[in-house]
Amino acid sequence: MPYIARRTLTLLSSIVAIVTFNFLLFHIIPGDPIRLIARSQHLTADEIAKLHHEYGLDGSLFSQYLTYLKNLLHGDLGFSFTYQEPVIDIVKRTVGNTALLLTTSTLIVVIAGVLIGVFAGSRHGKRSDSSTVIAALVAWSLPTFWVGMLLVFTFGVWIGGLPISGIKTPHAIYDNIFQKWQDIGMHLILPTLTLAIVDIAFFVIISRTSLIEVMSEDYMLTARGKGLSRRTIVWGHGFRNALLPVLTASVLYISALVGGAIQVEVVYSWPGMGLLTYNSVLSRDYPVLEACFLITAVAVLVANFATDLLYHKLDPRVGVQK
Amino acid sequence: MVSIETSENTSADANSVQGFGSFSRRNFIRAAALTGSIVVVPGFLAACGSPKTAPTNAMLRVGWKSDIDTFNPFTTVTTEAIEVQSLIYDKLMDYGTDLKIEPSLATSSTAAGNTITYVLRESVTWHDGTPFTADDVVYTFDLIGKNQLGINAQWLTDYQSVTAPDAKTVVVAFKAPQAFDPGLVIPIVPKHIWEAKTVEQIKKDTNASPIGTGPFKFEARTQGQLVSVTRNDTWWGKAPSAIGVSWSLYTNDDLQAQALKNGDIDIIPQVAPTVFDGLKADKDLTSVALDSFSFHHIGVNVSKVPGSKGNPLLLQREIRQALGYALDRDQIVQIAYAGYAKAAASILPPSFGDSYWEPSADQAINNNPDKANALLDAAGFTKRDSKGIRQTKDGKALSFRIIAISSTSVDVRTAQLFQASAAKVGIKLTLAALDSDTLASTVYNTDAPDWDLFVWGWDSGVNDPSYLLGVPLTSQIGGNNDVFYSNPEYDALYTKQATEIDPAKRVELVKQMQQMFYEDCAYLIPVYLEKLQSYRTANWSNLTETPGGIVFNFTRDNYLKAQAGN
Repeated sequence: MPYIARRTLTLLSSIVAIVTFNFLLFHIIPGDPIRLIARSQHLTADEIAKLHHEYGLDGSLFSQYLTYLKNLLHGDLGFSFTYQEPVIDIVKRTVGNTALLLTTSTLIVVIAGVLIGVFAGSRHGKRSDSSTVIAALVAWSLPTFWVGMLLVFTFGVWIGGLPISGIKTPHAIYDNIFQKWQDIGMHLILPTLTLAIVDIAFFVIISRTSLIEVMSEDYMLTARGKGLSRRTIVWGHGFRNALLPVLTASVLYISALVGGAIQVEVVYSWPGMGLLTYNSVLSRDYPVLEACFLITAVAVLVANFATDLLYHKLDPRVGVQK
Repeated sequence: MVSIETSENTSADANSVQGFGSFSRRNFIRAAALTGSIVVVPGFLAACGSPKTAPTNAMLRVGWKSDIDTFNPFTTVTTEAIEVQSLIYDKLMDYGTDLKIEPSLATSSTAAGNTITYVLRESVTWHDGTPFTADDVVYTFDLIGKNQLGINAQWLTDYQSVTAPDAKTVVVAFKAPQAFDPGLVIPIVPKHIWEAKTVEQIKKDTNASPIGTGPFKFEARTQGQLVSVTRNDTWWGKAPSAIGVSWSLYTNDDLQAQALKNGDIDIIPQVAPTVFDGLKADKDLTSVALDSFSFHHIGVNVSKVPGSKGNPLLLQREIRQALGYALDRDQIVQIAYAGYAKAAASILPPSFGDSYWEPSADQAINNNPDKANALLDAAGFTKRDSKGIRQTKDGKALSFRIIAISSTSVDVRTAQLFQASAAKVGIKLTLAALDSDTLASTVYNTDAPDWDLFVWGWDSGVNDPSYLLGVPLTSQIGGNNDVFYSNPEYDALYTKQATEIDPAKRVELVKQMQQMFYEDCAYLIPVYLEKLQSYRTANWSNLTETPGGIVFNFTRDNYLKAQAGN
């Protein structure tokens, strides 16, 4: 079977497994969602039974599963207990904000991380190399929400000037679209910086190691022998060849980012999927949580799939059956 | 910028990776660098200044902690949404800042026998310009009454019919007299907008752009972020000083407090106790601890169903009372709540005013270990084991389980303090902390409740005793009744007070119920909560410190009376 077909099959079967697991997860955990909804109201036992029926919670587990699959195929992610509207509508409003945050921070983390990593790698064994690695590792071990709070108090309170909450200035009137983007850009700074500080080590270490490995290749010796400048050797020859693992790591990184994004969105009240997940946990909004989990899981699977394909393209040796 | 330099360097190199369509590695880096700079550059440019905003000095800006659900009055349940809707929609009657009843869309409300008659205000228009008529009121009551829609349906369970004998009069008929006027809580909706929808459609409608007759018009909502309304200049009442009201969501208490100090918001309706002292010290702010309509309680399993796995000893009233005498409420206020709560007794908090019943000194079942010991001795628990725990005559320890929600630290702390004071009178309590879902499903296991004691709380969603008094009714077993208390005498009194339209007579019945429930000790109520609020004194004046809160209360009057500037 061709490589791509095999990967696609794996992807599809993983998605089916995830969907099933997701369904079971939310149906076997203790607690009756109707009971939780009903607690704020005066309801009789009859009315509670009626609600069970309305939310489709009265059938057998298997029939509920079939209904769930059928709805899913129709793009129906359920009906939010809290917002009293289809989950898909809520997700549509939030997923873009998260994508903006994740794309921006991924770009910054990757670009800055690689530059720093290459800088360190090219000075392998020197003090500037070891201090860069140590600094990156220290930052890597800091809790994301804590870095967020620290930045809030540094830039939001002591120095001031940077917005600390939300995606836009409340009641802002924009003369044009650029002003709007400028405002959003301002609000992006602290959340992105938070993710960058913590996650940059990921790329610093990968690109540094990769460069050190590449630098020991024979053709690097040749380049030195030709009398090329150090700058040309590192950036022109070493850097380019060290990029392969970085590229695949970037795609994987997007899936690893999800956890950090939830914390950052909560600290900065950024209206994305992370904040939605957090609020849904607090309000026990199971349909929304179920959708958030599913989307995150599928996004990670698709990112992995893309990595496999990319790797295969860049290095055709990957996936060749003997 | 650094990233642009990178792309120049790589483009100088001829060594490009073989195809990936047209998206070569070089192009990828170029694209990445370009996108990076597009996203980053405006951010730095913007650091020079923040955007213009609408004038916010006369805008009352509230900071809240949880998002609203929906603007649909027939499905909404959150306090936040009900708060916003109270400014967009008028009710027939309303509460003033003293929580006394005032006219609103109706100029009068008269209860007689099984009917309530409302005389409507004239020349009122909806936000879309359509005149308000008696038909709108008829439509709203009929929709809720017939279909039992939403949280207000509880006030129309006895509903029979609604008629409009003339253009300015509406008569609602019930199966029994109504002590509580449902006109105080039901937002009146425009018939011309809603009548096109079926009941099923209404149940799933988000009512994204609500049209009401209220003092403010809906302006905008960004889910998870902001809701705003603007002043309705054609409103029938005295125009508010605020040109609008906005509610911003802050998921973090410290950030919200900082926003208040910075002047980004004007008032926080629910200040976390951890940041309250910090706000109190700020000279620009007024920070108040107000009485509330909420309490936390220790529930005792008094279920008599055969499947109950609760300790049967708790069915003896003397043992429950002994637990009550062991409980030290003042200690719980000081230690578990750091002083931000009041020692409690009755199921109705003092915010209910006339209806509140307080035990006299010799009626109080509180912090009296001698009395507890005497009760337990008299009940035959005289033997003690080596640790001082009392035993039954056949050698079983007097020991109960107590459960609390692990994330609600005040409840866990309360349970721990209770453990210590119960041990002093020879009762052993074993504490387990659970997550809230598990606790709720454990407690509400009507057929086989497997627990002895728990800790959580109630909040009255309405300024009337009937909600909280209704929790321990026999008919609420399987519903709200969390201890399975069942007392026919109490149930009868409840029905009597709910149909007593003479306020003084009703207060007597309500007090009788409170005393009865207090002495039965199925609930041991350690504290009434306090509502901590804080606002910017420089921006707003003429705010009344109403029990229940300046805002986030049963009255919307503080939004209307708030005076911009000082």
